[in-house]
Amino acid sequence: MAQKTPEQINDDLLRPLSGVSARYLIIMACLVAVVIAAAFAFGWQVYNGIGVAGLRRPVFWGFYITNFVFWIGLSHAGTLISAILRLANATWRRPVTRCAEVITVFALCIGATFPIIHLGRPWLAFWLAPYPSERGIWPNFRSPLLWDFFAINTYLTGSVTFLLLPMIPDFALIRDRSSGWKKKIYTVLALGWIGTPRQWHRLEKAMQIMAVAIIPVAVSVHSIVSWDFAMAPVPMWHSTIFAPYFVAGAIFSGIAALILAMALLRKFLHLEEYLLPIHFENLGKLLLVMSLLWVYFVFAERLTSWYGNESSEMAVFWMTQRGSFSPLFWTMVTCNFLIPFPLLAIKKFRTITGTAIASFTVVIGMWLERFLIIVPSLSRKYMPYAWVTSPYRPTWVEITITAGTFAALGLLYMLFSKAVPIISIWELKWGRHEETVRDPVLARRDEEAMA
Amino acid sequence: MRSSCGPKLEAAGKKEKMERRDFLKLSAIGGATAALEGCGNPDHQLIRFVPEEDLVPGIATWKPSICTLCPAGCGLIVRVMQGEAEVVRNGQLGVIKMGLAKKLEGNPAHPINQGRLCPRGQAGLQVTYHPDRIKNPLARTGPRGSGQFQEISWDDATKQLVSHLSALQTNKEEGRLAILTSPLRGQRKSLVDGFAAAFKGAPPVEFAFLDDSVIQSANSWSFGHAALPTVDLGQSNYVISFGADFLGTWNSPVAQSIGFGQMRKGRPGQRAKFVHVEARISQTAASADEWIPAKPGTEGVFALALANVMLREKLRPAAAAGPAGALIAGWSEGLPDYAPEKIAAQIGVAAETISRIAREAAANSPAVALIGDAATAQTNGLFNALAVNALNALLGNVGKPGGLLFSPVWQSPPIGKPASSEDKGLAVSLEKLTERILSSPDAVKALLLYNANPVFGTPPGSRVREALGKVPFIASFGSFIDETSTFADLILPDHSPLESWLDDSPPSGSTRIVASLAPPAMSPLHNTRSMPDVLLDVTHQLGGDLAKALPWKTYDEALQAAFTALYKQQGTKTAKDADEFWAKAQEQGGWWSADEKPSPAVTGKHSAGPVRLDLPQFDGNPDEFPFHFLPFPSQLQYDGSLAHLPWMQEAPDPLSTVMWGTWIEINMQAAAKLGIQQGDLLEVASQHGKIQAPALLSPGIAPDVVAMPIGQGHENFTRFATSRGANPISILSTSSVSEVGSLAWAATRVKLTPVGRGKPILFGGSLREVPPELQHR
Amino acid sequence: MSHQWGMVIDLDRCTGCEACVVACHAENNISTVGDDQAARGRAKHWIRVERYYEGDFPDVKVKFMPVLCQQCDAAPCEPVCPTFASYHTSEGLNGQVYNRCIGTRYCANACPYNVRFFNFYNPAWEKPLHLQLNPDVSVRSEGVMEKCTFCVQRIKAGEIKGEAEKRELKDGEIQPACVQSCPTRAMVFGDLNDPHSEVSRFARSNRGTKLLGELGTIPKVTYLQKDSWHGAEDA
Ligand SMILES: Nc1nc2c(c(=O)[nH]1)N[C@H]1C(S)=C(S)[C@@H](COP(=O)(O)OP(=O)(O)OC[C@H]3O[C@@H](n4cnc5c(=O)[nH]c(N)nc54)[C@H](O)[C@@H]3O)O[C@H]1N2
Ligand code: SF4
Ligand code: SF4
Ligand code: SF4
Ligand code: SF4
Ligand code: SF4
Repeated sequence: MAQKTPEQINDDLLRPLSGVSARYLIIMACLVAVVIAAAFAFGWQVYNGIGVAGLRRPVFWGFYITNFVFWIGLSHAGTLISAILRLANATWRRPVTRCAEVITVFALCIGATFPIIHLGRPWLAFWLAPYPSERGIWPNFRSPLLWDFFAINTYLTGSVTFLLLPMIPDFALIRDRSSGWKKKIYTVLALGWIGTPRQWHRLEKAMQIMAVAIIPVAVSVHSIVSWDFAMAPVPMWHSTIFAPYFVAGAIFSGIAALILAMALLRKFLHLEEYLLPIHFENLGKLLLVMSLLWVYFVFAERLTSWYGNESSEMAVFWMTQRGSFSPLFWTMVTCNFLIPFPLLAIKKFRTITGTAIASFTVVIGMWLERFLIIVPSLSRKYMPYAWVTSPYRPTWVEITITAGTFAALGLLYMLFSKAVPIISIWELKWGRHEETVRDPVLARRDEEAMA
Repeated sequence: MRSSCGPKLEAAGKKEKMERRDFLKLSAIGGATAALEGCGNPDHQLIRFVPEEDLVPGIATWKPSICTLCPAGCGLIVRVMQGEAEVVRNGQLGVIKMGLAKKLEGNPAHPINQGRLCPRGQAGLQVTYHPDRIKNPLARTGPRGSGQFQEISWDDATKQLVSHLSALQTNKEEGRLAILTSPLRGQRKSLVDGFAAAFKGAPPVEFAFLDDSVIQSANSWSFGHAALPTVDLGQSNYVISFGADFLGTWNSPVAQSIGFGQMRKGRPGQRAKFVHVEARISQTAASADEWIPAKPGTEGVFALALANVMLREKLRPAAAAGPAGALIAGWSEGLPDYAPEKIAAQIGVAAETISRIAREAAANSPAVALIGDAATAQTNGLFNALAVNALNALLGNVGKPGGLLFSPVWQSPPIGKPASSEDKGLAVSLEKLTERILSSPDAVKALLLYNANPVFGTPPGSRVREALGKVPFIASFGSFIDETSTFADLILPDHSPLESWLDDSPPSGSTRIVASLAPPAMSPLHNTRSMPDVLLDVTHQLGGDLAKALPWKTYDEALQAAFTALYKQQGTKTAKDADEFWAKAQEQGGWWSADEKPSPAVTGKHSAGPVRLDLPQFDGNPDEFPFHFLPFPSQLQYDGSLAHLPWMQEAPDPLSTVMWGTWIEINMQAAAKLGIQQGDLLEVASQHGKIQAPALLSPGIAPDVVAMPIGQGHENFTRFATSRGANPISILSTSSVSEVGSLAWAATRVKLTPVGRGKPILFGGSLREVPPELQHR
Repeated sequence: MSHQWGMVIDLDRCTGCEACVVACHAENNISTVGDDQAARGRAKHWIRVERYYEGDFPDVKVKFMPVLCQQCDAAPCEPVCPTFASYHTSEGLNGQVYNRCIGTRYCANACPYNVRFFNFYNPAWEKPLHLQLNPDVSVRSEGVMEKCTFCVQRIKAGEIKGEAEKRELKDGEIQPACVQSCPTRAMVFGDLNDPHSEVSRFARSNRGTKLLGELGTIPKVTYLQKDSWHGAEDA
């Protein structure tokens, strides 16, 4: 593949920032429409009461908490993966990290709305925050929901920082190439970056510290999300395996989301020459590992429950294994393992299309997994008389809000790609520079080009 | 849900010409209505009436009252607290601070229920506060049954009633006045009877779907007491119930439940056995130690088989049964025809089981047998009841501790001379009344209706609806529009029981003499008047001999007269004079004798010879209609008269856990054979009609029986009950219990056809504590 | 002396009559939700009478078991509540502060007994049904969790009365509405701190068990298991 000059790179990667196509506007309009519908649905719910959702006793959590766990899981696409790749100094990571980190920030923001959306009295959500109030009472720090509050806020702050730091040189680049109001904005965003060695050195240092710090935070976030369940004495929730199981699942779905996002960006932003098959192949291998890990966790979790044969657990176990939830369960297994495994394990299929298909099924499968963790356990919790009499079914409100959050991610992503180059330009160049050092032919060609 | 704000104007008057003054009045009322409907503060628009004086805000007082929701007659205490209510006073809507009933509890001093209540009694509050109570007198405007009425004033309403009655008097057609009420007791009954007698009308007809006439007849034949027994469960060691839902709806359920608790765990080291014989596990059967699903209608044969074993094995002397035993053909020979081996197949119970039960019962004295509900609602119901009576007599428990007792009953002194029905060939039962109306036009020219709902409570074959349609003038005193009162031309709504002077003399539940009494626990909310007061008012407007026979101005005067009579007869030991007696009775909720003294046994009265085996007849050919149809009284909606109370709709049925609806209960295996699944909508068809209900599968019902609760399926009975579920009575045959004539409501056969998916609303999840899928591993 | 309120329910006495269920509705301003909402599993019965069939036709028995909040000493519903709306009182009750509840429904998931009920909508009493409301008990708005309180309003009223009259409370003086109504006297309520109270004595019965006791919730309701007939065919 032909190597691009730094100027070409600048042009290619900054091109999406200027001008909008008709196609862009149409897609945008569709997404906005879905988001507005979701906002209306939420307004409807606030106005009428949360009864407009399909929730019922004893299934007090449904789509909303499923979405919460799903989106928080998806957020592990970015920061965590990019941090690991940075620390491992995987050179192929360079075109990938920013699209990944962006997913984190947006998925977290979306995920974090669900604990509010699902409240019976969402207007009082701020009572979850510790602040000196006229009520003279702190929130209950023993509640995993409080842990969520802190973990998600920490992770969000960290992720935003982690995303913004490497954007500074690119903001400076845009600043230098733009004029008018745009220049003013990017001047502020560039934070006075002029590329002195001191600045480069500090950026490098900050990135390293962040990369190390963000990993335990990311792990803690999904552990805590798992503890929302595991801390409650609910059959098939109350499990020691939940934290690593959730973290693995989160990374699994995160990688899948990343591959999907990259495949779409590659196509729509014409980044064929930057997002290369090798990137998909490498991420595909990671996804394969996570798929195997996921199967292992599911097997270990199910095996111990089945062998233990504790009646309250078995009521839930059989409901998913061969009862009313079994179609969903086996769909989940198909989506998370039976389809992706051959696609990712056989080198011939580990193409861009192959990995994208596998990722698509994994995203669906992981959403189902969250649903299947939450709803069956609540449907058959202990006392058989209190088992659900009319099964939980989401209403249009829940479905619309769910759809709205997917649209919101697309929308945010599209807006972001108009404001910031979706591939880190300076990192790409840096990579090319390192390669150049090793490749005298390329170096000479660059020189010729510049001359 | 939020109610929308903004004025909703209702038609507030019926003025043809609108003058300026009227307009002002109208807009004032309109504003008030708007405030009530919307979100404004009614205080600003509504007139405030002078508050009731005797109330301290926030402090509760407890006032006695009486539960009128079933014939048990439990005593109540009503928690009354100050509150603000919108009321009508002298035709004017306004707000008043008044005492409001907040909670009903059993009157701890009352001998029947000793402080306890059943779920229906708890819900009595909602009768008073029901949003669909009739709030003003009504005159019919639309065609009969359309439910279209117009509010009129009390003056107009009483004037109309008086004019109809005086027209009868003028035309010497007093006999063409009929009165149809729910079963009444105490002074209220004396008053209604006295009015009918003094008016020279037909004697009042009482109707209730669940009536006790079979048991009354049987007890009269066997024991000389035409009454329900008081069952001394608390001291019993062995209880056999033949179909009687004695812990739910039959006889005096609260008193019996108290006795049951005592029998189970009230006597350290001693715990009686309770055997229930019925084709379905009822709420009562659910508490049994042993459930025996005998074939419907074989209860009498079963009882006599038990007697056969006791006689054969000389566990009890034959003579012990006395006249009740002698009444049964073959008794002195030891009932050879009823030997368990001979009749086991017929009953559907193994001969060994029968023998074992007989031996257990004989060995665990005192043992007592009860019969009621479906067992007495077969064509051979009287035979069944007489057989069980003979068994009780043989067990030697009648009039003894732990057995069947008969309570001494206080009867309010009769008013006037009751009309003798034989003389005039007038109706004494609903069937006779219907017959009379249908036989000749104008046989009944006016009908006074009070709280009875025969249109709901009789099978279509009894033609009550048709008959009511033929009566030229019907006045109803009920508080609600229901299937029957919708036929009324004039409605003069009664106060609710909590707003009324009440009295009662329950015939069973305690062996004390009980005369319950209660002044109103709260003032009326609506523009209603107490039925007895209206009757007295009408009486005085009609004047003449009638007014002389009923001299009282108001009902409480009549009550005081009755209690003065009671004082003279009974109460001289407890009060120094009649006034004190009257005052004390009001305070404690009545008067009851200090000692528990069952009535002594008397020899039975009957004209019949020895009673021979009477087998049940069922309506419908078993090939075409393979299932026995077993309607049963609902623990919550009773006979349907409580289906209008939201608490009684939303509380789950104890066994099916159904809320807000009806169901048809079918044996699991039988359903599996027919491919019927839980919740399938079934058409239940008899020779007389068909209804639909969702199927609920149960292990606790015989495979050849399907059961359905009575209570739902109202065509017209307030917003909460109308068009909900199906009414099993509407497909019953009119078969009657031989010799007694009451409806044999358990004698119909049906067939089932699946017609789709139903939507039963269940509260309970699993039938089993360990569900089947978890059992085999 | 401080109190530890507790209850004993004798399953051998309970006949499943549902008087307790309706009494609780009446005492505690529990709104009915109507057929449509009931069909969606949103009916609220702070106390319910569980019914289990045992065996197959014709050898069938039925067990009734009233289940209300067990007022667990180690209540799983309490630590999970982020706003202390579900909390432990000094008298060992599981308190529920309605106006602190934001409606996460976490507590209801954590409660193994499924005795917590959620207000999916604002309650409605069609006039004049609102006049039945007990002024001693607040009504709960939409989005708020509610559950059996052991009729805390009655407990408080009793305690205040005792204090005003400067005397110890008599055993049985305080009765929750369900206990008060129960015709078979299947339920007994009282102070577990008083070893001589009826409830303490019954709780020591050898028929006594705790519901889901294996979960370590330390319930304050003791169930006396159903007994059987020990008599014989001949005396
Ligand atoms: N927070 C606060 N508390 C206060 C005061 C304050 O300024 N702020 N002010 C204090 C003073 S100065 C006063 S005077 C008191 C007033 O205290 P209250 O006497 O309690 O005054 P209101 O609430 O105005 O009226 C009491 C009731 O009387 C009823 N009523 C109206 N007309 C009649 C009638 O003809 N007969 C009878 N029997 N009842 C009738 C009304 O319906 C109302 O419910 O409040 C004192 N308390
Ligand atoms: S048994 Fe129930 S309905 Fe009948 S009178 Fe007693 S409390 Fe009322
Ligand atoms: S029974 Fe449930 S609601 Fe009651 S204290 Fe225990 S965990 Fe909490
Ligand atoms: S629903 Fe209310 S009481 Fe329950 S955990 Fe949430 S805030 Fe606490
Ligand atoms: S103790 Fe009170 S709140 Fe609890 S179930 Fe009984 S009546 Fe209801
Ligand atoms: S009131 Fe008593 S007997 Fe009736 S269901 Fe409740 S606990 Fe059982």
